[in-house]
Amino acid sequence: MLKKWLLAAALATGLSGPAFAETVNILMEGVPDTEYVKTLLPEFTKETGIEVNLEVVNYAEMHTKLVPQLVAPKGSYSAIVVDFYWVGEFTKAGWLQPLDERIKADNFDTSVYVPKLMDLVGRVDGTTYMLPFYNYAMGLLYRKDLLADEKNKTDFKAKYGFDLDVPKTWDEYLKQVEFFTKDGINGVVNQGLRPDPIAMEWSNYLFANGGEYHDANWKATLNTEAGVKAVEQYATNVNKYGPIGSASFSFDEAFNVMAQGKAYSYITYNFFRAGIDDASKSAVVGKVEIMPVPGTEAGKGGSLNGAWGWAIPKSSPNADAAWKFLKWVESPAIAKKRALQGGSPTRTDVFDDAEVNAKYPYAKALKEMLLTSHNFPVFTYTPQLVEVLGRELSLAVAGEKKPAEALAAIETEMTELAKKDGKLK
Amino acid sequence: MASISLSNVHKFYPNGYAAVRDVSLDIKDGEFMILLGPSGCGKSTTLRMIAGLETISKGDLHIGGARMNDIDPADRDVAIVFQNYALYPHMTVIDNLSFGLRLRGVGRAVIDQRVANIADMLGIGELLSRKPAQLSGGQRQRVALGRALVREPKAFLLDEPLSNLDAKLRSAMRTELIKLHRTLGTTIVHVTHDQVEAMTMGERICIMKDGVIVQVGAPMEVYRNPVNTFVAGFLASPPMNLLRSRLSAQSLSLGDTVLALPPALGQAFAAHAEREVIAGMRPEDFHLKADAAASTAPVKVHAVTTEVLGPEVILVATVSGEQGAEIHIRCPRDFRAKPGEIVIFHYDVSQLQLFDPETTYALKRPVQI
Amino acid sequence: MTLAADDRRLNDLPRAEQTAVERRDRMFGWLIASPSLGLLFLVILFPVFWALYTSVHDYTLIAPNFDTFNGIDNYTKALGDPEFRHTLWLTAFFVAAVVLLEFALGFLVALMLNSVERFKAIYYAILLCPLLMNPVIVGLIWRMFLHPSLGIVNYLLSLVGIDPVNWLGSTKVALWTIVMVDIWHQVSFMIVLLLAGLSALPREPYEAARVDGASALRSFWHITVPLMLPVIAVTLLIRLIFAVKTYDLVYIMTRGGPGVATDLVSYFIYRTAFVGLNIGEASAMSAILLAVIMGLTVWLHRYMRSLT
Repeated sequence: MLKKWLLAAALATGLSGPAFAETVNILMEGVPDTEYVKTLLPEFTKETGIEVNLEVVNYAEMHTKLVPQLVAPKGSYSAIVVDFYWVGEFTKAGWLQPLDERIKADNFDTSVYVPKLMDLVGRVDGTTYMLPFYNYAMGLLYRKDLLADEKNKTDFKAKYGFDLDVPKTWDEYLKQVEFFTKDGINGVVNQGLRPDPIAMEWSNYLFANGGEYHDANWKATLNTEAGVKAVEQYATNVNKYGPIGSASFSFDEAFNVMAQGKAYSYITYNFFRAGIDDASKSAVVGKVEIMPVPGTEAGKGGSLNGAWGWAIPKSSPNADAAWKFLKWVESPAIAKKRALQGGSPTRTDVFDDAEVNAKYPYAKALKEMLLTSHNFPVFTYTPQLVEVLGRELSLAVAGEKKPAEALAAIETEMTELAKKDGKLK
Repeated sequence: MASISLSNVHKFYPNGYAAVRDVSLDIKDGEFMILLGPSGCGKSTTLRMIAGLETISKGDLHIGGARMNDIDPADRDVAIVFQNYALYPHMTVIDNLSFGLRLRGVGRAVIDQRVANIADMLGIGELLSRKPAQLSGGQRQRVALGRALVREPKAFLLDEPLSNLDAKLRSAMRTELIKLHRTLGTTIVHVTHDQVEAMTMGERICIMKDGVIVQVGAPMEVYRNPVNTFVAGFLASPPMNLLRSRLSAQSLSLGDTVLALPPALGQAFAAHAEREVIAGMRPEDFHLKADAAASTAPVKVHAVTTEVLGPEVILVATVSGEQGAEIHIRCPRDFRAKPGEIVIFHYDVSQLQLFDPETTYALKRPVQI
Repeated sequence: MTLAADDRRLNDLPRAEQTAVERRDRMFGWLIASPSLGLLFLVILFPVFWALYTSVHDYTLIAPNFDTFNGIDNYTKALGDPEFRHTLWLTAFFVAAVVLLEFALGFLVALMLNSVERFKAIYYAILLCPLLMNPVIVGLIWRMFLHPSLGIVNYLLSLVGIDPVNWLGSTKVALWTIVMVDIWHQVSFMIVLLLAGLSALPREPYEAARVDGASALRSFWHITVPLMLPVIAVTLLIRLIFAVKTYDLVYIMTRGGPGVATDLVSYFIYRTAFVGLNIGEASAMSAILLAVIMGLTVWLHRYMRSLT
């Protein structure tokens, strides 16, 4: 009897404890970096006494869950993570708190972030709304074992007149794609599904050819030589050098083809790099490496940047606690711990860390990739632009539109959207 | 036209239930045969086996001398009329009538001629373009009948065709069917649980119970000489009174009444003397006045209640000294009795039937006219 | 219908001619119907009217307000958009293919099941399995099965010497693939409804027809089909309405691609609203779709009634 009472008392005190403590609620996507953050949370609670509650959902649900809470005067999320797709919409709608004052007051150093990432998911028109969380810039996965093969080296040299090695330029890479399409292996696997997979992947082709989406005044610059070449090369890769069906592949399906050793190369999000060395998912452990998507010449990259940022919504019920969490999670020590677990860093100091480099030799390539990467247009209608790109590029790949026609259609709609958003005068 | 003959026919269902057992019945060409019995007695199953809608598990079926066990229903050249008419609900009356002929590839002109004849005969000419849902029960009945008639089959199989009609219509249709049979002369097998239909329509009645035939015979023959208490209790309304009684050498004790038997009867039943029997007494064999010629004997009864039907009055009463069993007595239309009143009736002993209480079968007696 | 007609007759009576009892009955009727009527208003009528109201305003997620009335602008814009018209035609084709194929297949299976006597419950359970699955799951499973190089379908085909089929990546095949998966998913619905109809058919007309000399095929044409018409009409109608709303399969399997080969109208409207953020135009498109479906429903209903 006494035992029971003691147990009940213990339970009661144990349960009532957290009820008085402050809790930071955050909506997050179910991705590896979220898992890494989760493992570190007890440290934060120990340091500050603040509980952190992560609501983890899949990407498709996030936007629909966020908007009602952002519109409300007092929402349920203390902090949120923002995909670069939504940055334009969220800031235009005025849903995010500027962080500059807090940064200044606490002397938080934002200069360590990769500048391109600060442009993408940090500052908007000079105001800091977010701290870059993790990056998902795209890189080129390639089979280093095939490159090292002596017979391949001889054959390649005989055919193209230069050495087979890690591609220094985009044109070299395209030749390799052609060369390696043999013996039941494809030179490349693409992710041709509408809208995001194809739009994101093709952006690398555009940048690799020296193209950009728009000039400084938001005038579309797609229907250009670089743009047309990018569409032609993309369609050729899908239809001629890629596996059957890649016009409908999403990330995971394309990754599977690569991981099963059926393709020489695959342009994809850098967080897939870790999966290649996971023997439970991959048949090519240790045979694949990542590098920045090569550009028109050596030293110029063609990678598409991508990232999520931490932000505090205006509707946050406890902004101060949320800032405490942001400060902590983006501190050098915690950012490094996350990187050591396999996360995708955004801070240069983490990329340069000796321990990180020792564990992940490709960290250097990732940093290089970020530094030479290009940003996707960030404005209110980013998702709509992705949608238009997806449709027109898919039509071009299917041969139902000529590259120039598709690009012209994209330009028209992009111009319309940019005007609607006030970006283009 | 054809005779129908069933020899040792059985019907077993997959679960082992025997719906019909060892039925042998010869239906003569042109005969109006009634299959009578309570529900579940196997009469409909027997009919459906004749039609071919049920397979015959054992035994033989001949129609017009040809074995029909394995012949498709369509090729047996019989027509069936169902209890709920089974009209094609989406077809007009004319299509219902002509469907079978059309399926058989009969020429347009012949069809029109026959349909017109039948419609005329049954008085449904006005209804030809209607659908079954727009018809009354009696009209549907006629159409169902017409559908069978128009085929001019060798035999008609009627599966309780009148039971869904109201009493007045039923009686009218009975007469009509009898007339029809007289006109066409086709073999008719008519299944019913209604003893009035059986008595009035059939040339012969085949009474069934629990899947076997109990008695076959002309209506009056079955009525006068029921083979057992079941038949006795099934035919006529009110049916034969069945009373436990004791048979002596020349008399029958019913409660405190002793009925003296005429010598002929006494001799006939001599073998069963001094034992318990069931006395079968028809309600109409009780008279208010003694009749020496008919060898009546007085019976004292206590009135329980009377049912005044108009043309006659049914007295429900108990025999004096035998309070357990009630008997029904047909009385003239002006007869009245108060409950408890004692009435003396004169029973026509010559009509007495006796049954064995163990086997329920009739004790042998001289045949009456 | 007849019930409604009777009701109307009662309702048409002038107040004075109704007795107190009748009036009380009517009051009581309204009383017990009011909660469900209220609920109906809240969950159906209110959203419909809200959407119609939105469709004549410039209402976007960026500026979610009714400040700008723009009349039929959203409608003319939607109808003038070749992409929207393409999705409408594509949806019409998809619906026709899905409904007709599922009906034919469903009727066949229902007829077969109707004559089955043993293990009916087991067949039922197996058939209902796909129907109980979420369309998203169905899409994901089939996307896996149909993976051109790693999927089981092409592997099985390769065993009998058939070249791999580009199920979702070819503009010529993709829509039919979606049709096929939808049939796999939804055909049980047809089977179950038609089977219910078949088992409720009276047995006697068939027996009459057998004695009348009808073969199985003729019984089917002359009795089953005409008697089943009301059930068939309702089944087709429900399936048609659901098919128009098909969205999940396309979202999971093709996102409308390759090109615009599988861009069904519901998915297009969804994108207009939540990617394009243009709720006003999306509402106008929905209203157009609603009008089309209602027209179809009325037509089909009338047509089927004229047959029975």
